[in-house]
Amino acid sequence: MSSSQPEQDHIPTSKVQRASKFIGTGAKVGGNYIKHYAKKMVNPSLSKEELHANNAQDIYASLSELKGSALKVAQMMSMDKNLLPRAYQDKFTMAQYSAPPLSYPLVVRTFQKAFGVSPEAKFETFTTSAVNAASIGQVHKATKNGKTYAVKVQYPGVADSVTSDLRMVKPFAHRLLNMNEKEISHYMEEVEEKLLEETDYQLEVKRSTEISRACRHLPHLNFPVYYPELSSERIITMDWLEGDHLKEWLQTNPAQEARNQIGQALWDFYHHQVHNLKKVHADPHPGNFIVQENVTLGVIDFGCVKVIPEDFYRGYFSLIKKDSLLNEAQLNQIFFDLDFISDLDSAEEQAYFKGVFKEMISLLGKPFHAEAFDFADDAYFNQIYALGDRVARDKMFRNSRQARGSRHGLFINRTYFGLYSLLNQLKANISTTKPDWLQ
Amino acid sequence: MENLDINTNQLAETRNRIIDAFIEHVLETGKQPVSVYKFAKNLGITEEEFYHYFTSFQGVKGAVWDRIFDETYATMRAQEVYQAYSAKEKLLSFYYTWIEVLKKHRSYLLALYEGHADFKKITPQEVRSFRENFKTFAKGIILEGKTEGEIVDRKYISDKYDEALWLETLFIFQFWLRDTSVSFEKTDVAIEKSVRLAFDLIGRTAVDSFVDLAKFLYQSK
Repeated sequence: MSSSQPEQDHIPTSKVQRASKFIGTGAKVGGNYIKHYAKKMVNPSLSKEELHANNAQDIYASLSELKGSALKVAQMMSMDKNLLPRAYQDKFTMAQYSAPPLSYPLVVRTFQKAFGVSPEAKFETFTTSAVNAASIGQVHKATKNGKTYAVKVQYPGVADSVTSDLRMVKPFAHRLLNMNEKEISHYMEEVEEKLLEETDYQLEVKRSTEISRACRHLPHLNFPVYYPELSSERIITMDWLEGDHLKEWLQTNPAQEARNQIGQALWDFYHHQVHNLKKVHADPHPGNFIVQENVTLGVIDFGCVKVIPEDFYRGYFSLIKKDSLLNEAQLNQIFFDLDFISDLDSAEEQAYFKGVFKEMISLLGKPFHAEAFDFADDAYFNQIYALGDRVARDKMFRNSRQARGSRHGLFINRTYFGLYSLLNQLKANISTTKPDWLQ
Repeated sequence: MENLDINTNQLAETRNRIIDAFIEHVLETGKQPVSVYKFAKNLGITEEEFYHYFTSFQGVKGAVWDRIFDETYATMRAQEVYQAYSAKEKLLSFYYTWIEVLKKHRSYLLALYEGHADFKKITPQEVRSFRENFKTFAKGIILEGKTEGEIVDRKYISDKYDEALWLETLFIFQFWLRDTSVSFEKTDVAIEKSVRLAFDLIGRTAVDSFVDLAKFLYQSK
């Protein structure tokens, strides 16, 4: 009799959701990593940087062993962690580049399952070892009739194992993120859905073709052509784009003008997707972009695409107007619509959370408030990080039983954090365009 | 001479007929025939004639396994790229080809071996010849691996490598029997991972370096 009681008045909540849906999971992750590891691995002889580096290495090592979805989670964390110390960031983005490769016989087998012939029969040349590892597959370089192709082959069993892999990640996540079972489950469900989509290569080809067609007119952008007839559930064939990965390119110390051009191309690309297509490539991390000749940006991976529902879109983006432009009633309405606050909150709670959210919004909307914004400004990013950490430690958020923030926010936040972080790495000065209805 | 040819042809043909009929029977009824007498009668041959080719049903089952091996081996070697493979890749290639061949006989194999006790403990008599064939193949690639430095020669232990690979083969077979994933993708993963582990173990490892150092220290005392 008494056992059913507590379940009724405790609405299951998610700390991730409530604390960081809006500010991005990164904020939460950031705060907890440091707290947890600083506490657990105190070693006076280690500098803090070293400590982070070591931790990141350990975590990365265990996650890269898991491959597949676990690797993907590592990647997502590396994305979401834009607010994490640099050492973590570098290690995690490595997930993109170095995973133990598939053996060539297995690649042959995958080809035979898909097309009934070996890779050599489909192409004139085909590299027996992978030239690049993608998160759930690897890339081979092939040629035929004078053209060069990138052929992405998926690891077998990924789709099958997404669910069970995520279960394997749970203990890690539990330790790393300091979340309880329920909260992790909630977070994982959302991730799982997107992951399953990512394993569907046929869907990816369809979407890639769609989005790249719709964005082709934008300046300084380039997209590979996709070949459905040479693709299957487990294989994607596209044009090989010559060029350097974003990180490699940055190491060549490009001129400010060039960095601005790449940054602007990136900004325009996202602007067009979010505001015109309402469909966005929700995975803006450095591994998905290539800088080509004439400072053109090549976009190579459309695994994760988020469709933005119209009602969410309106509410979410009206928040980027300057505070003064929104009156209290409008703001309240939006906060209710986006589930930041609800009727279950006490007046005191409502006032408190509104205060915090307003602060977040004005901070995150800052690039939109002027005609141009200089993303080289590290002080701005430190501010975001500090706020994220504060929210993660905040008592009110911790004790709140209420999930905060619409679920669509997770991927949109991730997208914008990724974008901001890329622009920060580019140290680009951007003309931050807004859609007409927000002018 | 010509007579002899016809004779061997006929012999091979009858032998194949027996094997095919046996497979057919298992597929249709889910178990092997009750007696040689009945089986031979249905086939239109005498029991005596049956014994001319096989001593028991076990022999027939062995012949099915031999067929599987021959087909695997031939298909695998027919791939142009096979000659360029390293020892590890050759083994992988063998397994991938093998389960593709097994797939054609899945119902037959399931009927006979699904409820079978652990293969490692009691390997059925009929698999013996398959095992010998496999071990010959394995010895070949182990030798190749040793010359290429992919596999480390260890006293006493390295003589058992082919036996170890045979155990892996049994593991893969049993994994495949129980696999319910779409197009047996999980078996692919099991092969990939278990072969990597096997070659990590028989390749140069930390233990070798440790033994090497210990030997040196002992000798220079």
